[in-house]
Amino acid sequence: MHDEKYYKDIGFMCGLEIHQRLATKEKLFCRCNAMLEKDAQIAEINRRQRAVAGELGKVDTATEFESHRQRSFTYQVFRNTSCLVDADEEPPHELNNEALEVAMKITASFGAKIPDEIEPMRKEVVDGSDPSAFQRTMLIGYSGTLKVGKKEINVPSIFLEEESSGIVSVDANKGVYSLNRFGIPLVEVDTDPEISNPNEAKEAAERIGLMLRLTGNVQRGIGSIRQDVNVSIKEGTRVEIKGFQDLGTMPDIIENEVERQVNLVKIRDMLKKRKAGVSEPFDVTDIFAKTEIKLIRKNISESGKVYALRLKGFEQIIGYEINPGRRLGSEISDYAKLAGVGGIIHSDEDLDAYGFSNKEIMELRQRLGMKPGDAFLLVSGKKDICESAIKYAKTRAELALTGVPGEVRGADSKLLITRFQRPLPGGSRMYPETDTTPVLADRNYYNDLLLDRIDADAILKKLKKEIKNNQLAEQMLWSPQISLYDRIIYVTHADPAVVASILLEKLKELKRSGVDVDSISEEAFVEIFQSYKTGIITKAAMEVIIKSVPKRAAEVAEIIKRHNLKRISGKELENIAANAKGESRQDKITEIMSKYRLTVDGSELLGILDKK
Amino acid sequence: MYSKEIEQVLKKGKITPGNYVHVANPNFSSDGVLIPRPNFGDESILVLKLSNGYNVGIRYDAKTKIIKLNKVAAKFSFPENKLKFDKSKPKVTLITTGGTIGSKVDYRTGGVHMLLKPEELLYDVPELSRIANVEVNNLFSIASEDMGYKQWQDLAKGVESAFENGSRGVVIFTGTDTMHYISSALSFMLERLNGPVVITGAQRSSDRGSSDAFMNMICAFHAAAESDVAEVAVCMHTGSSDDTCSLMRGTKVRKMHTSRRDAFKPINARPIAKISVEGRIDYISEYKKIDAGKGRKVDLMTGFEPKVALVKFYPNSDPEILDYYVEKEYKGIIIEGTGLGHMAVNPTEAKYSWIAPLKKAVGKGVVVGITSQCLFGRVHTKVYSNLRIISNTGAIYCEDMLPEVALVKLGFLLGNYKTEEVKRMLNRNIVGEITARTEVDWFV
Repeated sequence: MHDEKYYKDIGFMCGLEIHQRLATKEKLFCRCNAMLEKDAQIAEINRRQRAVAGELGKVDTATEFESHRQRSFTYQVFRNTSCLVDADEEPPHELNNEALEVAMKITASFGAKIPDEIEPMRKEVVDGSDPSAFQRTMLIGYSGTLKVGKKEINVPSIFLEEESSGIVSVDANKGVYSLNRFGIPLVEVDTDPEISNPNEAKEAAERIGLMLRLTGNVQRGIGSIRQDVNVSIKEGTRVEIKGFQDLGTMPDIIENEVERQVNLVKIRDMLKKRKAGVSEPFDVTDIFAKTEIKLIRKNISESGKVYALRLKGFEQIIGYEINPGRRLGSEISDYAKLAGVGGIIHSDEDLDAYGFSNKEIMELRQRLGMKPGDAFLLVSGKKDICESAIKYAKTRAELALTGVPGEVRGADSKLLITRFQRPLPGGSRMYPETDTTPVLADRNYYNDLLLDRIDADAILKKLKKEIKNNQLAEQMLWSPQISLYDRIIYVTHADPAVVASILLEKLKELKRSGVDVDSISEEAFVEIFQSYKTGIITKAAMEVIIKSVPKRAAEVAEIIKRHNLKRISGKELENIAANAKGESRQDKITEIMSKYRLTVDGSELLGILDKK
Repeated sequence: MYSKEIEQVLKKGKITPGNYVHVANPNFSSDGVLIPRPNFGDESILVLKLSNGYNVGIRYDAKTKIIKLNKVAAKFSFPENKLKFDKSKPKVTLITTGGTIGSKVDYRTGGVHMLLKPEELLYDVPELSRIANVEVNNLFSIASEDMGYKQWQDLAKGVESAFENGSRGVVIFTGTDTMHYISSALSFMLERLNGPVVITGAQRSSDRGSSDAFMNMICAFHAAAESDVAEVAVCMHTGSSDDTCSLMRGTKVRKMHTSRRDAFKPINARPIAKISVEGRIDYISEYKKIDAGKGRKVDLMTGFEPKVALVKFYPNSDPEILDYYVEKEYKGIIIEGTGLGHMAVNPTEAKYSWIAPLKKAVGKGVVVGITSQCLFGRVHTKVYSNLRIISNTGAIYCEDMLPEVALVKLGFLLGNYKTEEVKRMLNRNIVGEITARTEVDWFV
């Protein structure tokens, strides 16, 4: 990792957009269940979407790019978790008030301000993930701050919006999405690009995640929180990275992205010097009529096409490495792939390995009018696919002349790099949601929330006092179990140290040994601790119950009965103690505890023995 | 509308919605574009579009400053595609009347703009120019619920002149709410029709990329340019998917859902054809074909008697409603009875019996037709004795005709024929509104 000065010198700018699904009963603009994970699919709907003019009468580049792909979309429809609103067949219902309240609570936790009136907007979405082709979203907070260590980072905006639908599969021609997730309330927290290095990005993301969890009203589990990172350097353009699998890889991926941008700027400068340029596409199918290149031969035999570009001054630059194992050619190839081709072939590659004949290369160079220092690239495939592919490749090759293109890129957690997904959408794609009315914000309510706002430091202090173990307390603060912990303590008044040790240590241990602890419901956990606190079971018995994976609270009593876990105490235990054969006190304890390990509380037994 | 106080401040500062302004108060400070206040909600809230595209509402009070900035707002215009004439393609006239399908959104304000130029339409749906040479006649811009017989008459004239000017077919954009009334009216008014007249609309506005308008338009133009249907038909989504439209007889179709794309269903009929978004037309039931030996000229019969009413019978409904219409000199009444065409005949309270008011109305020369609120199926005069009693009043049972179609037909007949003829014609088929047989699969 580079030092602070390096990032300062290259003009590193980095900001976050954290998206968190809320744990409300219902969706944001309809009354579908927003919590159910499994639901029966009842139908599929096939739709097409097209680009419509944006606010200034222009179709946004990102929009047009997607629309040119002429994709069709299939939406899976579910009984309880999707309805006509989700399928874009019914106008939105009232804004979910529970979601607004949770969002306000989150907004308050960043000390942000709220508008007097919240204006629901439509944000155009053309990747098909929204059946309506727009996402309903609203600005609910601005001018907040995030504390990361000693630094304060501005939180310029917090949004409440609809979650997109879940991706089932997406390829060049078709996207399949499931509507069960679509429309679940989502809060987006943005930071200003004030993050000064990749590690700080991770810390800030962790901190925001913590704040969101501490509100207690957010969904947990895979995909319920997503981090988008905006990264740029002095001479580049903003790039948005999506799809981080975990925060651990975030710094490395950002670092590689920075390296890529730095190299793209270098490439731009080299190309400028060489007065580089990109030609219009050439149809060169005839040159390869009798080719030995397997892939091209196959494509031509299926009446496919081969198109080429002359890349003036690009020699040795398409092959220039910009990230480990990635070249400018890889970037161009990623664009072409969106059209449905497998990739591109370019002249900085080993053409012999592909099986090019000298004659083919000669003819190609001639046809393209290539001069020394030039490069070429080829795509082949079905005519329409090939036409789009060469157009996209041309777009990307031309962008190399300007340096870093504004893009949305996906994080690759294995290779720790980013890959092109689509051009960065412009700003001209928001307009008012006229099917619903603006919402007047309740200032008094919000002021109360501000007074009572979540303070992570204060919570840590409280945990330390309760758990009496600083390490466990710190762990609890950062753990997703904290809301369960709070609930158990609140309902059962069980010993916080016991609750913390079971939730953080015992569960981890059991999970590692293969127990499906994630399937145990919160209600069941509360019931287990309730049984413990009221003396129905011993502390040791809790493990047996957890191993039996109760999904409902009522199952806990059944398990206690089935495994004879009812605690033995009082008179009954006194009788057992009186009848123990052991000579010494220690012998008696060993004898009784080996027989009644799960049902006798050791300290009670000691008390009885000592009383005698 | 903003409050008077705000309007004054804006006037003083020479600020109009659309201007770049700076708004500041203790709670807020930002540049943005001032957005017009929608016609609802709190008038003292300034709506500002921020640079990130979001709108926010800021309450205007004594502490709020609003300053006009020098930055000039970019001009808003809808993009257009040039019209190209392709002599290999037939001419299709598009008549627009308003409604969701003909409207576009001004993305900055959310305001609605009516589509006026074919060039704008072709920008949104370039496929249309590959189907036909499109000529556009913007007849008017009225929501379908605001349309009445005068607009139906104008539409019929519009269709007449489209065919006179050499169109092969006609496409009509209307609002969807009363589309089935419009299609019925045109079915009756366009006599000797010898070309396709295809009505379509949209259930989702075309500001969204997912609008049903696009496929509806494409399929409607295929029907108008390529089908041999010589009828007035409605062309709308078959299902919720964007793959097929149904072409449905104008007198056998009804809006059956408030919001779905496939709201229009054929009733007591099957669709004439299904049209795929790629333009494949599958004819699936009998229809009137274009007579190649004849020209496209239509004879108009646009007379219409507006004093016709549609009355629904329901438990405890007061039959005196008929007296009201008789007093108001209505010429015809269609009753939506229950089941096979029932109204109360022997209720425990005599005042609820419809027999006397019915007799009175018929006696005064009012033409009364009976249909069923079941919509599906056929009314009958004999199955129950009550039906015979009602029938004996002189009310005319209208077979399997939809109540709304019967209403339009009655207005049309009264506007063009003598009463005796009207009575004879009401339950006889003219343009496919009544069928002699009911096929087994004509039900949901």
